Amino acid sequence: MGSLQQIVLPALDQLSPPGLALVEELDKVLLVQLRDGRKIIGTLCSFDQFANLVLSDAKERIIIGEQYAEVPLGLHIVRGENVVLLGELDAAREPPAGLLLVSEAAIKQAQRAEHEADKIKGTLRARFDFLDDT
Amino acid sequence: MAEEDNTVREPLDLIRLSLDEKVYVKLKGERELRGKLHAYDQHLNIILGDVEETVTTVEIDEETFEEIIKTNKRMVPYLFVRGDGVILVSPPLRS
Amino acid sequence: MLFYSYFKTLVGKEVTVELKNDLAITGTLHSVDQYLNIKLNSIRVVNEQKYPHMLSVRNCFVRGSVVRYVQLPPGSVDVELLHDATRREARGG
Repeated sequence: MGSLQQIVLPALDQLSPPGLALVEELDKVLLVQLRDGRKIIGTLCSFDQFANLVLSDAKERIIIGEQYAEVPLGLHIVRGENVVLLGELDAAREPPAGLLLVSEAAIKQAQRAEHEADKIKGTLRARFDFLDDT
Repeated sequence: MAEEDNTVREPLDLIRLSLDEKVYVKLKGERELRGKLHAYDQHLNIILGDVEETVTTVEIDEETFEEIIKTNKRMVPYLFVRGDGVILVSPPLRS
Repeated sequence: MLFYSYFKTLVGKEVTVELKNDLAITGTLHSVDQYLNIKLNSIRVVNEQKYPHMLSVRNCFVRGSVVRYVQLPPGSVDVELLHDATRREARGG
């Protein structure tokens, strides 16, 4: 049984300034997952309490099936609200096992093919909804 | 203090009276929880115990275009629920 | 502040964080801040095949706003403690 002291509110002067959690990640190469599903890799230059991020040498890692590619983006500022998670890339686990590095052109093509497949599913669904309304 | 404890002056007081009772929580994304209320705050962040989660999904059969409504249930011993997903909290279920 | 203080008591314990995008990550709770941003160590992702990009990540920071649930370790939940703290917080403490 924990003591009641465990959940007493900390005194204000004991609080670490909010949003300092990313200090340890500065200058490290991170993988940042965004809310739209994209994955950005870059070196963390700066951040604030909203988890707005500045990433240098940023690149987008696109994974389709068992292929992946990296598209250079340069210096990037990411708005905090779009950040889902970020983690230090473990050099020992890079490149990702089981994935084949392909060219930017090849991955873009695979991406388009995937979009088309999704779209077809979508139109079938839309047609069905239309039938449902009549 | 006892008299103060039982008065309901604002909505969250009703939730305070449900502490240690089984409550129903409706969440965004067609999710529902039933479990014992152990903690909450003003954001409606919540901790529930012996939680049953029900997720309702609608799938469309690609062949027949029929809507298939599926409900998935699972049990979790203790669950922290972030308040921004909460739609409503309903006081004790008598069941 | 209740949940911030409470999560701090769980540092070092294993939790499973479920995100609004359905990603579920189990790991050792490393730290938490006032926004309930969470840092996890030694993570493993539930349904890993579906999220191959997470294979290269061992420790991660999860933004509090994208959390849906945190599954808590049953052995470290003291319900009496939580009730007391909740009542104190409800009184504006």
